[in-house]
Amino acid sequence: MEVLLGITGKDFTIVAASKAAMRGATILKASDDKTRALNSTSLMAFSGEAGDTVQFAEYIQANIQLYSMRNSMELSPTATANFVRGELARALRSRRPYTVNLILGGYDKIADKPTLYWIDYLASLAPVPYAAHGYAQYYCLSILDKHHHPDIDFEQGMKLLRMCTQELKRRLPIDFKGVVVKVITKDGIREQEYEDDVKVAIP
Amino acid sequence: MGSPFSINGGACVAMVGKDCVAIACDLRLGMQALTVSNNFPKIFNYGDVYLGLTGLATDVATVSDLFRYKVNMYRLREERNISPQTMANLVSSSLYERRFGPYFVSPVIAGINQTTGKPFICGFDSIGCIDFAKDFIVSGTASDQLFGTCEGLWEPDLGPEDLFETVSQALLNAVDRDALSGWGAHVYIIEKDKVTKRLLKGRQD
Amino acid sequence: MSRRYDSRTTIFSPEGRLYQVEYALEAISHAGTALGILAQDGIVLAAERKVTSKLLEQDTSAEKLYILNDNMICAVAGMTADANILINFARQAAQRYLLIYNEDIPCEQLVRRLSDLKQGYTQRGGLRPFGVSFIYAGWDPQLNFQLYQSNPSGNYGGWKATSVGANNASAQSLLKQDYKEDCNLKEACGLAVKVLSKTMDSTKLSSEKIEFATIGRNKNGKIYHHLWGADEIDALLKEHGLAKPEDTEMTE
Repeated sequence: MEVLLGITGKDFTIVAASKAAMRGATILKASDDKTRALNSTSLMAFSGEAGDTVQFAEYIQANIQLYSMRNSMELSPTATANFVRGELARALRSRRPYTVNLILGGYDKIADKPTLYWIDYLASLAPVPYAAHGYAQYYCLSILDKHHHPDIDFEQGMKLLRMCTQELKRRLPIDFKGVVVKVITKDGIREQEYEDDVKVAIP
Repeated sequence: MGSPFSINGGACVAMVGKDCVAIACDLRLGMQALTVSNNFPKIFNYGDVYLGLTGLATDVATVSDLFRYKVNMYRLREERNISPQTMANLVSSSLYERRFGPYFVSPVIAGINQTTGKPFICGFDSIGCIDFAKDFIVSGTASDQLFGTCEGLWEPDLGPEDLFETVSQALLNAVDRDALSGWGAHVYIIEKDKVTKRLLKGRQD
Repeated sequence: MSRRYDSRTTIFSPEGRLYQVEYALEAISHAGTALGILAQDGIVLAAERKVTSKLLEQDTSAEKLYILNDNMICAVAGMTADANILINFARQAAQRYLLIYNEDIPCEQLVRRLSDLKQGYTQRGGLRPFGVSFIYAGWDPQLNFQLYQSNPSGNYGGWKATSVGANNASAQSLLKQDYKEDCNLKEACGLAVKVLSKTMDSTKLSSEKIEFATIGRNKNGKIYHHLWGADEIDALLKEHGLAKPEDTEMTE
């Protein structure tokens, strides 16, 4: 029941990830952060098999940071996405593959555009205007299909996210303990305050 | 979960005309029944050669990138473009290298040989067996439907415009009867010294 | 005295020099001149092709200018056989980067990859260094047009205009004199033939004796690189009054 969401707009990318760390039916932690900043313009959100997720994310994070140090420049979000896909694809055909689903939010400073990539554990990569992983796909993609536009401003983006999280709260059988929200703009990555306790009308 | 060839869905078709060839693919990327993206092209250009790849999306990306590497090195070394025939053998041997752990893709090649001026198409299975054809090649989750539409619509010596109409109708009508492909299409009409790429909207459902 | 220290590349002489590296540099200074000039809208590379014998089959392809990838070319001075190894290495490195990141390798990174390989041969024992200097011309979205030079020691640097090979000192001073910061590609091509005409032995140039390549941006903003054909080189030479007159060629 892990939730990953990504929404792009005119000049930003919003990434949201559920705060519950679960093991079977038990919630172990209600303040988990399933995201890692790779550099100043790329953020990765991850879900999947416990252990694999953080291991893979931090391996990628270390490699992207190594690139920044070696070359005194940052890898673009597109290049980052392809690197991540390559590593996951290589692992897929190894003795023990990573079972990790990813959403990569970024901001391309050269093209001056927000970016969002959807990557699943098979290392299928797709550039998308909005993305979701897990059960959230079934509830949120249809909402985003209806309401999303590529040139929405940040407030409209947050409103869309609210619609999604409300629907998830209403429909998911297990409480995912709200979401961590990160925003990527041309100025970098920041965490966005997000009210998790908004009442949901359940029919 | 079924076969790796039908997790993500997708379809591709190539056809021969008079002094021209056509290759077309759909744009869907899915996870089983769920559509994730409707902008996932499956045709890749390598100089004079066009390669269509259907099957597992991760392998479509891996294989297309791998051939870009190989063809770029070929072009730099030989100082000329790779011919469709040479490309066919490159694809075949590269896939057979993975005989016992194959890439789950069904490639299709279309192009015009710039020395002879003759159209060329062929298809492959996932381990590199080449299927040469004088008429058309189909691949992907809609391949059964494509066989039907191509068999019904294709005729010899179609000109570029007629070939475009034929290949487009063959693809669009085939993917409409396949739940795993569709969501728009890319169509390439390749003539000796002109390539026309068209985007078809298609049914968005 | 010094002879004791130059048979191995890895050993410093008492004066703190690496003789093998210096010999490699010396070998290069006898090779045909190559130069590169950075302009506002592109880069020109030019090289002198030494015609050793009339009987030698004239190669149709360039022998001193090479394409590295879609947005980088280079000029070679020194041992062609060594250069081929390095160029193949560079092409593979560029394609490997493209495979991993789905983006072309930034110019400086490719220059550094080659320079690191060259450096290795000044430190690891038993082998000689590569007897080649390169001039690289490239473009990347971060730093736009860039010109680099590297030598057998593994050192490299960015330049506005530079030269390697025979007479490179005089070529360099000519470039220093006449280089204009805001020149365009056409003016840079003019400067390139002018410098070559003064540094080469023969008084009159022809397309058999020089090679030319440019990298620039075409009308729809795409980066192109272009190895010039004989007719284009001759046209440029004629434009600058440096072409060999037709009749003297007949009598020779």
